[in-house]
Amino acid sequence: MDRATAIIPPGSHLVCLGLNYRSTPVELRERLAFPEEQANIAAAKIHSLPGFKESLVLSTCNRVELYATHELADSPEGHEVLRRYLAEHFELADDHLEALVFYRLSNDEAARHLFRVVSGLDSMVLGETEIFGQVKAAYQRALAGATTGRTLNKLFQQAFTVGKRVRNDTTIQRGSTSVGSVAVDLAEKVFDLKQCRVMLVGAGEMSRTCAQSLLSRGAKSIIVSNRSYERAEELATEMGGRAMRFDEWEDALHEADVIISSTSAPHFVIKQDLIERVMRQRRWEPMLVIDIAVPRDVDPAVDKIEGVYLYDIDALQAIADDGRRERQRALSSCEQIIEEQLAKFGFTPTHTSPPPETGGATTEYSTT
Amino acid sequence: MDTDALLLLLATLACVGGVVHAVLALRAGSWKNSRLHWLPLTLAFLLLTGFLYLRGQSNGRCPLTTMSEVLIFIGWCIVMMYLLVGPAFRLSLLGVFTSPLVAMLLVLAQVLPPSTSPRPERPIIALLELHAAVSLIAYAAFALACVTGVMYLLQERLLKKHQISGLFYQLPPINGLARAIQRLIWIGLLLLSVGLAISFALEIEVSNPKIIMAWIVWGLYALISLLMWRHVTSPRQTAWLAAAGFAIPFFSLWIVTHG
Repeated sequence: MDRATAIIPPGSHLVCLGLNYRSTPVELRERLAFPEEQANIAAAKIHSLPGFKESLVLSTCNRVELYATHELADSPEGHEVLRRYLAEHFELADDHLEALVFYRLSNDEAARHLFRVVSGLDSMVLGETEIFGQVKAAYQRALAGATTGRTLNKLFQQAFTVGKRVRNDTTIQRGSTSVGSVAVDLAEKVFDLKQCRVMLVGAGEMSRTCAQSLLSRGAKSIIVSNRSYERAEELATEMGGRAMRFDEWEDALHEADVIISSTSAPHFVIKQDLIERVMRQRRWEPMLVIDIAVPRDVDPAVDKIEGVYLYDIDALQAIADDGRRERQRALSSCEQIIEEQLAKFGFTPTHTSPPPETGGATTEYSTT
Repeated sequence: MDTDALLLLLATLACVGGVVHAVLALRAGSWKNSRLHWLPLTLAFLLLTGFLYLRGQSNGRCPLTTMSEVLIFIGWCIVMMYLLVGPAFRLSLLGVFTSPLVAMLLVLAQVLPPSTSPRPERPIIALLELHAAVSLIAYAAFALACVTGVMYLLQERLLKKHQISGLFYQLPPINGLARAIQRLIWIGLLLLSVGLAISFALEIEVSNPKIIMAWIVWGLYALISLLMWRHVTSPRQTAWLAAAGFAIPFFSLWIVTHG
């Protein structure tokens, strides 16, 4: 679909060549990732290729995408030049190159794809917002490196406008989609996270993920207690917290606002009478107890205690599932906004069905 | 229609409009923290200020001469208190819970039959006007504590029942709500204490039903404050006391205006 739009001058082509988590496994993606300082050099190199006018490299852990405008005969020729450039840059053998599944998008499709990426619709976690910042950072680097021009500048600014609209006008960001983010949401609705003290009882992988989510959102401090003190120390050092011997955690429990328990004990570790005693010490200040262990660590009767909010792994998972369903429900509204905005910016909207996911074997997106 | 009546009607519509918009936005999931949410209650506040000014001019005194005027004055105080407290605690959703209460007070003020017995003419005593105004501002603080208490109980229930969707994401953290309840009760108690202290200077009879009722309200909130201070009651119990306790000052208004 090669045709001029409001922002693509006659004779020019807007192209996007990319691969993402759907099309390419991480072992291959990591080989093709551009470190931050390399992305601009690559953009400058593409910019200097014969017939190329503008370029931008977007490289995140889930995708590598090259955006460019060129004045070659047609879009496929531009895609092929970009593909060859990647092969040369990463010194890929021909058989490796042939094994890679790229999506090759032009003009309207490239714009639509960018709008979807910025809105978080093409992300592994639907509606996540980190990608917005990543695209913005990539654009600002390209802008500073003077590899963008009128078309890419307008396109990316439009994409940011669309991303904000999708975020503000739909519920695509609502709800938590992972156990870690559910834990953060819950903690935020009980406490001011900046004052929140976290205690890990057991140092399992999932409790580590939850604790890291809380810390990244500003939790004040963390105490790690584990049967293996060395493991507790290791985790505490990694997260900037304090390790505690396993026979001491009960005495320090009243200091914690959020308790994340994930021991491998075959019986309840946190019992009703213990929490009742702790709540008296805390003068009924609320406490969030997250029980990730299977079999469970926390006696369900603890939930009956006033001011104690107990969530086990099933409860957390159910909330995350609800969050994912909520986002799926919002998807069609998001696609509608994107199509409206494409039309507004002079691109051709699709009125039939939502665009196919990049990386799949589709008829609309040619892959190699 | 008189200008003051028109202002009152518009203020009521602003409150009702605000709450309808908020409920629709919450149901559609499009509610966002925004300064626009302050608009209906800010508008209502300005209109009520206009109303009270005009009524004060025509009465030649503080517009607290009838039950209707008292209700409107309390509504005005509640909105004022909300505009002061809301931003401080970042409780924009408090407006959604405040608007129905204010709207109810304003509607009640408009449907109440006008007082049939003419009130005795009495000279304007500045201290008496101050006593009444400060006491009613205290009542407004208690009203807002009641609204905050309802929000606390709602959020607490959602957390306990694991109903993590919709309204849950819009309500503030329960710890913040608990602190807001405490502070509003303390502010109200302080203001009511000032109001009662002024009554001593006025040498009003201790057996006056208004004073007795004011002391009962003061006693209730002093007890709640003491229980909070000594941590005898949990935050949830305090929220219940703040929410249900407002019934006493609310019904005491009838005695205050008819006594």
